[in-house]
Amino acid sequence: MRAKSLNDLLQKGDRVAVSNITGREASKVSVISQRYCGNIVAGWALGKAGQVVDVPGVGSIPVFGQFNEMMGTLPEGKKPNKIIVYSPPDAVYGDVKEALEHCMSCVETIYVITEHVSIEVTAKLRELANQANVDLIGCNTLGIINAHDRVRIGAVGGDTPDETFEKGSVCIMSNSGNMVNTIATYIKSAGLGISHGISTGKDALILTPIKDLLPLAMKDPRTQIVVMYVEPGGVYEEEAVAYLKSVKNPKPVLIYVSGKFAEGRSVSLGHAGAVVEGKNTSASAKMMMFDEYFGVPVFDPENPKRAMTALAGNKRGVRVNALHDLVSAASAVIEACGIGTDFPRTKAIEVKPWFVDFGALERKLPGELLLHPAEPGTIPEPYGALVERFIKTGIGRIPTRQTMRNTSHASSNDGVTPRIYGYSVMNLMKKGKGSFAESVLLYWLGHPPKQEFEITLFEMCLVASLTNGPGTISSQAPKLSASAGNAPNTAMIATLAAIGTVHGGNGQEAARMLVDVFGKSGMVDPYDKGKVPNLEGIVKEFIKKFKANKNAAKDAGLEYEKVPCLGHPVFNKDPVNYDPRERVISAYLQEKGIYNVFLDFYHQVTTGMTAAGVTNKVHAVNVDAALTCILMGIAWPLLVDKKITVERAVDLPFLAFALGRSAGGAGEYLDHRESGTDMDMRVPVKECVFLGRAQD
Amino acid sequence: MNVRIGELVFLQQLAGRYKIPTPDYIVEPVSQTEIKRKLQEWGSGIVKPDVLAGKRGKSGAVHKVSDYREAMQLLKKSAATEVGDQMPRTAYMVQAVPADLEIFSAFTYNSRTLGPSLTVSLKGGVDIESVPDSEKATVPVDVFRGLNAYQASEALSKLGLEGKLNSTVARCLVSQWDMFISTGMQTCEINPWRMTKNDKIFACDFKAIFDENNFKFKNIGFEIPEYPTREDAFDEEMRIWSASSHQGQAHVSSLGGKKILPILFGGGASTIITETLAQCGGDPMFLSDFGGNPPYERMKKTAAICFRHRLADASLLLILGGKANNTQIDVTFAAIADALEEWVGQNKQIKIPVVIGRGGPGLVQGFAVMKKTLENLNLPYVIFGPETPITLVAAYAAKLASLGDKKAKESGKS
Repeated sequence: MRAKSLNDLLQKGDRVAVSNITGREASKVSVISQRYCGNIVAGWALGKAGQVVDVPGVGSIPVFGQFNEMMGTLPEGKKPNKIIVYSPPDAVYGDVKEALEHCMSCVETIYVITEHVSIEVTAKLRELANQANVDLIGCNTLGIINAHDRVRIGAVGGDTPDETFEKGSVCIMSNSGNMVNTIATYIKSAGLGISHGISTGKDALILTPIKDLLPLAMKDPRTQIVVMYVEPGGVYEEEAVAYLKSVKNPKPVLIYVSGKFAEGRSVSLGHAGAVVEGKNTSASAKMMMFDEYFGVPVFDPENPKRAMTALAGNKRGVRVNALHDLVSAASAVIEACGIGTDFPRTKAIEVKPWFVDFGALERKLPGELLLHPAEPGTIPEPYGALVERFIKTGIGRIPTRQTMRNTSHASSNDGVTPRIYGYSVMNLMKKGKGSFAESVLLYWLGHPPKQEFEITLFEMCLVASLTNGPGTISSQAPKLSASAGNAPNTAMIATLAAIGTVHGGNGQEAARMLVDVFGKSGMVDPYDKGKVPNLEGIVKEFIKKFKANKNAAKDAGLEYEKVPCLGHPVFNKDPVNYDPRERVISAYLQEKGIYNVFLDFYHQVTTGMTAAGVTNKVHAVNVDAALTCILMGIAWPLLVDKKITVERAVDLPFLAFALGRSAGGAGEYLDHRESGTDMDMRVPVKECVFLGRAQD
Repeated sequence: MNVRIGELVFLQQLAGRYKIPTPDYIVEPVSQTEIKRKLQEWGSGIVKPDVLAGKRGKSGAVHKVSDYREAMQLLKKSAATEVGDQMPRTAYMVQAVPADLEIFSAFTYNSRTLGPSLTVSLKGGVDIESVPDSEKATVPVDVFRGLNAYQASEALSKLGLEGKLNSTVARCLVSQWDMFISTGMQTCEINPWRMTKNDKIFACDFKAIFDENNFKFKNIGFEIPEYPTREDAFDEEMRIWSASSHQGQAHVSSLGGKKILPILFGGGASTIITETLAQCGGDPMFLSDFGGNPPYERMKKTAAICFRHRLADASLLLILGGKANNTQIDVTFAAIADALEEWVGQNKQIKIPVVIGRGGPGLVQGFAVMKKTLENLNLPYVIFGPETPITLVAAYAAKLASLGDKKAKESGKS
């Protein structure tokens, strides 16, 4: 091996270059690594020259099209000494060869993360690396972490390496990358941190096997114990035991050998490395080899003292039968060998569920199997806060992300039938009256409306949104467009471009406010007045909070946050203010005996604010508020059932307004195009007022 | 799973291409006249089943024949008789080669030298494990330069084979290497080569494993025949689904268990979880690894296949993995939850407990989706965070499955 110490494999100050850095996994891992330790100097990916991998809050990683180009561009102090390969299997050979040919003088170690590299290519990579005197870890490694220097290569530690890896005296060597993390988590409860965590890779040929890593760990001043996870296949452990036997006073080793269950079966273990060749390569054989080397029987968690007594004799270590026994075995080893803990022991590991609901099964369970959900505040952070946010409170589906380039939940077409969320467009067309409104709701919510009156109310919203007279800016816009001689689509775009958060889009704010107010109330049915939880109290609390915020803002000389969709200036002078379009909706609800808690809330807030002296104005519940209340009424049961996201629900009022108003804008366009003259919307120069001063 | 082939494919497709001398052969179905003609020509023949099972001779599946009627009977019988739990694809008869010397040769990738190596022995025709180390020689082969005749000859000399015989065998070993390296094999064994009295040599049995990741295998130029397998519809569907994409793992190996349906994540984690389940009496149905950050659709179909074939018979559903590095838990759990909901919608309400344990990106969002679904489906559940060791969760699930095997199915949650 080129490396003479574990630190030579990775330490602070190392400079890492990433192949295929714009790939899905590479870019994601690189961003996290860069945030954690900032050791990536550049990446390269064919055809991606000039791009960057953005690391928010840290900067960006430059991407080059080719390795050569990268090496030629990077300044001397930035040239990489570690390479991490994320290339597709067929490109791995070429990329490693290129790195070795062009960068032999500076590259010390190459980590090949790629899976499914052929065994022939792996053998060739080994030859190339040997000739170049470069260490090659992998293929199919997860990478390495140096917890003392707080640096990593690859995805060891996942998204939160700090959470798992505290600096300490245990070196982990594992065939499985995931087990590096898992073992680090377990060992922590024994009061032990990590010096290095190394994923050796898990293909049939492990190019840097444990027999090469053990000598580095034996002389590493930070490492006091080695913990290993091994699987069947290969003579790596046979060689490792031979090495350990040759060392005077080796550091203690803890080992877990998995895969015994697969013996005698034609089972392919998750790792390609688990190919049994010869007598010392099965799980059982590996267990026996280590037991014989340790000279003590496998660790018995029921009787750790016996293990300690046995360990005190030769201090070589012990094998565990279950991975969680590593904790008590590690404690026994450090006690027997006189090694101190790295930090106070944390709570013992135990079966500690977060959520439990056995239902009727609970009565039939014996005591030892009966578990209880986590007490409030006992779920470890950062999860506790997330549980509070996503599970215990709140409404709405948790969004899941995926690439949507050629996929859609919303529509489909099998070549015969276009569908909206699985419903045939042709069948929707045949529904007749209200079918457009119903289909739009289906398209926007993913579920057809549950109540017939919801379709009527939604249609009312669309009609109300059509126009508020030609003076509104969204009606002026299509007229301007028509006056300039534009096509119909441009006029409609102009209409949409002239609406925004203060004109038509205020419903979005209103919807978000309603989610905030009612989201934690436990309300299920917004149409059931009897089951609305204490609306009067909610209104009082809302007004109180509004008053406090308003006063605080005024004291600070700031603009206070207004209640969205109230105080429409057109109707503000009347003694009792109503928006006549809102009145139509309210009248319909009254006539049909339909209750809408959101509209009731809005009315109570309007009168309550005046009564409480929070404002001297007489506000009106405007049509945007009514529209929002209607749409939130329709969306609410889906939010409670977590079938739609909050984001989707709060967008609905704005979308409804935009849909209605763009149709209205089309009307203005048609009228203007038909009767207006070209450029008639132009304001004559003499009517334009310059507010500045001539400068020349 | 890597692809294996036996002697018949070698005879039909590879031996000629790489100029490896082999005895003449005929394949069932074959006419009586042809069998008669061949036996008259050869003197005697060996009837063998074309089956992917080792130790055919020891299990009594290989027969020497000289009478054409007997040969015909044996060909038919061999083609239809299981060998070591494997069903033959067909049967064939090769010319019997009388020999004084039998040689073993194998190329494989060696974990000691981390490259290809040749193992050769003059004690061929028997299980190579039974041959003492002193009577076999293993030499590393340079993966770039390959095996040359000189190197092969030297290995044979070490074993005491000299003269013309040495050079004849050495040339054959070079041909075997050419085949090994040109077709993307992982291991390739000829046992035995039989030397006749007039110094002719024949490759008289063969087995090989191809490396599916090797592009040379992907372009091998002939169809690898499908052997009848004992895999059921589930194994077959998962095998095809797994091979259909490299996005996310979809590995499954049946273990024949009856209790726990395990949806497991991570190569290492799935191994130790299965190990623990087996140790604690959880009787897992299969070993699975669905890690590797599968996209939603991939994970959903993987789960749907598992549920379609196994869920109705399971007494516990276990969804368990370590702390993921890359796999998005919210995406994978949403996919599993949707697949579960769809299965129940299309089939029947089940009442088995569901045990979940996981860590990684999007964990709580994933748990939220799963919890909601399980509540909608009225299924009893326990969900563990990443601080509970996966092996403890597995041990708990095994006990719960054993206890609740019948009770849970009867009572369920409601």
